[in-house]
Amino acid sequence: MTGLFTADVENRGLVLDPRTKLFVMITLVVFALGNTGSDIAAVKYATVVLCLLPVILLCTARQYKRAALSGLVYTLMKTVEMFCMPHMTGMILSLIGLCCLIFVRLMPGLIMGAYMLSSTTVSEFIAAMHRMHIPRQITIPMSVMFRFFPTVFEEFSSINTAMKMRDIRIGGKNSGKFIEYRLVPLMVCSVNIGSELSAAALTRGLGTKVRRTNICRIGFHVQDVIVLILSSALYVLWILGLTGVTG
Amino acid sequence: MSAVLRNVSFRYANGDTGALCDVSLEIRQGECVLLCGSSGCGKTTVTRLLNGLIPHYYEGELDGEITVFGKDIRSAAIEDLAGTVGSVFQNPRSQFFCVDTTAEIAFGCENMGLPENEIRSRMDRTVTEMNIRPLLDRSIFRLSGGEKQKIACAGVAAMLPELIVLDEPTSNLDLDAIEELKETIRRWQTQGKTIVIAEHRLGWLNGLCTRVLFMENGRISSEFAGESFFSLDSETLSGMGLRPVYTKHDYLDSRTGLSRIKPFDQRDVITLENFVYSYGRHTALNIDRLEIPTGSVTAVVGHNGAGKSTFTKCLCGLQKGFRGTVTTGRALRPKDMMALSYMVMQDVNHQLFAETVMEEIMLGADDTDTDKALDILNRLNIYEYKDRHPMSLSGGQKQRVAIASALLAGKKLLVFDEPTSGLDLRSMECTAELLSSLGSNITVLIVTHDMELIDRCCTHILHIEAGKIN
Repeated sequence: MTGLFTADVENRGLVLDPRTKLFVMITLVVFALGNTGSDIAAVKYATVVLCLLPVILLCTARQYKRAALSGLVYTLMKTVEMFCMPHMTGMILSLIGLCCLIFVRLMPGLIMGAYMLSSTTVSEFIAAMHRMHIPRQITIPMSVMFRFFPTVFEEFSSINTAMKMRDIRIGGKNSGKFIEYRLVPLMVCSVNIGSELSAAALTRGLGTKVRRTNICRIGFHVQDVIVLILSSALYVLWILGLTGVTG
Repeated sequence: MSAVLRNVSFRYANGDTGALCDVSLEIRQGECVLLCGSSGCGKTTVTRLLNGLIPHYYEGELDGEITVFGKDIRSAAIEDLAGTVGSVFQNPRSQFFCVDTTAEIAFGCENMGLPENEIRSRMDRTVTEMNIRPLLDRSIFRLSGGEKQKIACAGVAAMLPELIVLDEPTSNLDLDAIEELKETIRRWQTQGKTIVIAEHRLGWLNGLCTRVLFMENGRISSEFAGESFFSLDSETLSGMGLRPVYTKHDYLDSRTGLSRIKPFDQRDVITLENFVYSYGRHTALNIDRLEIPTGSVTAVVGHNGAGKSTFTKCLCGLQKGFRGTVTTGRALRPKDMMALSYMVMQDVNHQLFAETVMEEIMLGADDTDTDKALDILNRLNIYEYKDRHPMSLSGGQKQRVAIASALLAGKKLLVFDEPTSGLDLRSMECTAELLSSLGSNITVLIVTHDMELIDRCCTHILHIEAGKIN
């Protein structure tokens, strides 16, 4: 299960500080999704480079399939957008335009988000939040939530298996109740696990008044510096472009 | 004195089972105390009083005085007990807070706000003592039950508690893992820690516990010294509703493959062929051909990671990419195996969907089968619950509902995954009786570590090791 904050600590390749990932994410949102500064040529090309960064990060995490697929789709759609779109008109233009919008603008952010969640452990996340001075009242509930997701997925897949064995499918008898049949056991199991989990966490001192230590060592390394410089470059280029230095 | 309970009574706010009635108890420093008794006798409640979950987490009416290491449990905050009392629970799935092992061991110490160097040196000591260095920096989701329980123990030990309570710590463990848990507890004893264990399985505690408290209906009804308790014979224990201390057989010593352990009138067989499955390069299952007698009750045994669950998944047609065949009359491909077989999961809550028991078992059946359904309910002794919500039933009754639904759907092969984990003697006997009474055209396979269950109801043993049989 590669899901939310269930980083595969055994083999995840390049380790970036959670804050670096967050910064890349924000930059992607600003420049790829927000299309900021796209009238400045330098920013436009730098954005393409930044959009391919999540693909490289996925490669270092050995998620080659996902990396290859997203890299290919992005390159293809970007090429279409840059070279074919100017020659299109009418219906085709709006159709292709919509596809490009989704894959060129939205997808890089989504891939980065998926990478960020699947490559960060809960303790790294808490440590990073702590360094950014986010209060405990926010970080503890969030960490509980993230701990809970993989469990819910596990439960859900067990329930799916059970339904398969009983041959309960969409289109069969009682298909109107299909969702209810799935949710009732899921809720019962989640509530049970949730209350056991809280009990276990309490006996281990979660929520004491003392300041919590975190032995998880996060910090900026060479790879973080490279990625941060790359991302900051976009802002610099943009500002330079706005002030008319480059164009 | 580690802990003192004086005239303690407790009732859960939302239930009757597990209530305590005027319990007085003194636990001395360095003792290892066993709490035993049938389900609902209140032994778990005692452990919850010691670690402060009652009254701070589980609510109810509490009377009497409880002091743990001189602290009144009511006025002490539960988080502040964390450094003094450590707890190990039954279900490894729900006692982990982190997703990697190292962070999990450190979790408690981090909460106590110890300096980082101190945490690292404590972790280092614990890891060396318990010999679990290979388990560090691993993902929790890839550990076996035994390994998970070891990490849980390490996380508790790193907090250096004086008192450690364990609530049915072995219900999800196999015999090897239990042996290792025993080692851990013995080490804690030599370090002078006080240990309280609530448990159904008794055999492994022989030689470990210095005092045994037998509980009935929320009272401590008798007290034994360790040696005299473990020399009681099985009849006496059985009279008390307890499981025997010694199991007659250890079927893990038997040769691999299928062997008959009880007289059985064999007619037909179910033939499994080409049961081969690999996860990547690792071959998990490699059985060329196997014949299981129709109508038999066969226990599937083997050490953890022997391929038992892969085997049952393949048999139920749940394993993707599996290409073997099952022959009963005609050869079935994996897709059709799903119509033949049904797995009753360890957590039966996963497979009950409907609003009433009747609706539940009719889900996979024709509407015209109502009479047959009522007949099956009758046979399984759950007729009176037919209009109840399945989730409102007890564990054993839920199991019966799951079986009833499988029988009505015409399943001929029922697979049970650890049906008796965490059950007391009576419930185990009921399950055993049920499994052997399903009739001669229903074949039952039980994946289990429970040797007593095998002795009671199984006709055959299928021993798998490293995915293979001879």
